[in-house]
Amino acid sequence: MMKTKTLALLGASTLGMLMTASAVQAQQSGYLTILVDNGPQSIATMEAWADAYTAENPDVTIDIEVRPGGGEGDNIVKTRLATGAMADVFSYNSGSLFQAINPTQNLMPLTDEPFQDSVQDSFKSVVSADGEVYGAPFAPAMGGGILYNIPIYEELGLEVPKTWDEFMANNEAIKQAGKVPVIQTYADTWTSQLFVLSDFFNVLAEEPDFAEKFTANEAKFATTPAALRGFEKLEEVAEADYFNADFGAASYADGVRMVATGEGAHYPMLTFAIGAIAETTPDHLDHVGFFAQPGDSAESNGLTTWMPDSLYVPKNAASPELAKDFVAFVASPEGCAVRNEAVGATGPYMVAGCELPDDVPPAVSDMMPYFQEGGQNAPALEFLSPVKGPALEQILVEVGTGSRSAEDAAALYDEDVRKQAQQLGLEGW
Amino acid sequence: MTRRASILGGAAAIATTFVVFVIPFIFIVLMAFKDRQQSALRDFSWPTGFHLWENVAEVVKTRNWMMITAFINSTIITVVSVTLLVIFAAMVGYVLARRKTRWNGLIEFLILAGLMVPPAVVPTIWLLQGLKLFGTLHGMILIEVAYNLPFSIILYRAFVATIPRDLDEAAIIDGARPLDVFFRIVLPLLWPVTVTNIVVQSVGIFNDFTNPLYYLPGNANATVQLTLYNFQSQFSTAYNLLFTNILLITIPPLLVFLFFNRQIVAGMTAGAVKG
Repeated sequence: MMKTKTLALLGASTLGMLMTASAVQAQQSGYLTILVDNGPQSIATMEAWADAYTAENPDVTIDIEVRPGGGEGDNIVKTRLATGAMADVFSYNSGSLFQAINPTQNLMPLTDEPFQDSVQDSFKSVVSADGEVYGAPFAPAMGGGILYNIPIYEELGLEVPKTWDEFMANNEAIKQAGKVPVIQTYADTWTSQLFVLSDFFNVLAEEPDFAEKFTANEAKFATTPAALRGFEKLEEVAEADYFNADFGAASYADGVRMVATGEGAHYPMLTFAIGAIAETTPDHLDHVGFFAQPGDSAESNGLTTWMPDSLYVPKNAASPELAKDFVAFVASPEGCAVRNEAVGATGPYMVAGCELPDDVPPAVSDMMPYFQEGGQNAPALEFLSPVKGPALEQILVEVGTGSRSAEDAAALYDEDVRKQAQQLGLEGW
Repeated sequence: MTRRASILGGAAAIATTFVVFVIPFIFIVLMAFKDRQQSALRDFSWPTGFHLWENVAEVVKTRNWMMITAFINSTIITVVSVTLLVIFAAMVGYVLARRKTRWNGLIEFLILAGLMVPPAVVPTIWLLQGLKLFGTLHGMILIEVAYNLPFSIILYRAFVATIPRDLDEAAIIDGARPLDVFFRIVLPLLWPVTVTNIVVQSVGIFNDFTNPLYYLPGNANATVQLTLYNFQSQFSTAYNLLFTNILLITIPPLLVFLFFNRQIVAGMTAGAVKG
C-alpha cells in the first residue's frame, strides 16, 4: 500500500516536472482501476487500451472491472460515487444521464487537460456542467436512422430513398415482392422510439429553434407540424401493414438478425446495432446498409446523431494523475487506432486526427457522408433539451399497434413531458 | 376406482414436474451445446453442432479465468456464512424457546423486523467502510449472516420446542455445563432442521446476486452470479455462453439439493405443528 502510494506520487511528480520542461512522453507508474459497462465492445476496447497503455508504461498495473448496463448500472454508478468507492476511471452516458450523477460534486473537471483541444465542441457540450468539462469520448458517434438489407435492395432494383415518399414507395415494392418491408420489435419497447427520435433532424430543418422552445414550454409535439411528422410516419407505416408478422413479440436481438439475414428490409435503429451484427451474424455484416430517416424534401436530407458515452474521473480518485493520463491516451489518435484494431469502426470519432480504417462495414461507410463536408447532421433532441418524457416508448407502441392515432399520441406525450419538466424545476411549466 | 384416480393424479404430477422443472433445464443444456448464431434464435431446437467444450473453455477463460476466482469466492462465502448462521441461529433459537423472560416479546419483534424491513444499501456501505470491512470477503460474510439470520432463528425456535426439556435436565443432573448441554445434547437433536437451514441458506447465498454486486466490488471479489454479466448486456448477449455459464453454476446447488433432498422436507415440517 505504502509502496503504491509512493510510486504514484513519484509518477505524478515526474509527470509534473516533465510537463513543465517539455512535451516529452512521461513514463507513468502505479495502480489504476477502471469500471466499464458490460457491452462487449466496451470490454474489448477497454482491454485493448489497457494492454496498449501498459505496453508503453510497464510500471502501471490496470485492473478492469465490469458493471451491468441499464437501470442496474445507473444504481451501481450512483452508489459507488455516493460512497466514495468508485474506480479511478469509469464509463457512463453523456447528456441527460450525465447530469443525473451530480457531476459538480462527484467528478473531477478535465477542462484544462491538453487533450481537450482536439475533442469536438459538440461532444464537450454534452459532458459539461457549470462551465467545466468532465468527460472524454469513449466511442465513436452514432447515428439514428434506418438499417436496410442490401441484397433485397439489389434484387428489387431499389434506390436508397431521399424523401419519405420514396421510402414508402420502396416499402410498397418490397411488400409486393412478398417480403417484410419494416421490422418492429416491441418486446423491447425502447426500439419503438426510433421513427420519432431519428426524425429530429427533419424537425430542426423546418423549426431551427424547436429544442429551445420545447424546453421553455413554448412548442409542443402535437401543435408543431414538423414535430408531429415523426408520429405520423410511424402511423403511416403501421396502417400500410408493412410490419413483420411477429412485431409485437420480436425482440431487439431478433430485429438485428432479421435485417442482417434479409428476413426484413428496413429496421429503424441506432448504428450501434452494427456491433451486434458483427458479433452475432458476422457473415451478413456486408449485407446491411444505412440511411438517415428521410424527410419530406430531398434537399434537406440529414442524419440525427447521438453522442457516445464518456470516460470520467471521480473527484476522490486514488491516483488522479495516472487516471487523467490514461483518459488522455484514450482520447488521442493513438487511442482511436487501438479501438479500430480491437473492435473495428462503428462510426466517426469525436477526436481530431482520428482516422477510420479503409475496410469499414457498408453501414458505417453509408453514415460517413453525413459527417463530412457538404453532409448534414444534427444532434438528437435529448442532447439539446433535458426534457424527455419517460413514457414515449409505450405511447409509440400504441401508435405502432394501431390503438392510438398520431395526433392523440403526440398530445399524450406532451402531457407526459410536463411531469418530467416539473420535476426538473424548469421555468415556464 | 380410487386406484385409477391415484395413478392419474401421479401421472399428472409427474407431467407437471416435467414441464416446470425438467424442460427449462433441458433448454439450458441444449443452448449450451449451440454456437452463437444458432443460440441467438433462442428456440427449442436440436444443436446443429457440438460446441459444448468450446463454450465451456471460453466461459472459464473469459476475463482472465474469472470463473475460477468466482467459484473460490462463492464457496468461501457460502460455507463460512452458513456455518455461522447455523451456530448463531441455533443458539438464539434455543435460548428463546427455553428461557421465558419479559424481553422475549421485544426480541421476537426485532427478529420479525429483520425479516420485514428491507436493508438500505448506501448506509450499510458507510458502516462497512467505517469498520474497514467494505469490499472484503469477511465483510460480505457478515452481511449474508445478518440478512439471513432472522429466517434461520425462526426455523430453529419452532423446532427446539419439540425437544423435551427433560433431556436438558437429565444432562445437567449428569454434570453437563451449559455449553455441553447445547453442543452435545441439543445441537445433534436439531439435525433435521439444521439440514433444512444448510440447504435453503446455502442455495440462497450461493445464488445471491444483488448483495455481492453492491457490497463486494472488484475483480478479485467476483462471485459466480456476477460472472453472468460477462455474457449478457443491454444491447448484445452471447446466449450460448450465457447458458453454458448458467449450466456450470447451477451444478453445485443442484448437487446439494440432490444429496439432502429427503431430509429437507422432514426438517421443514418438523417444527410446523408445535410452535
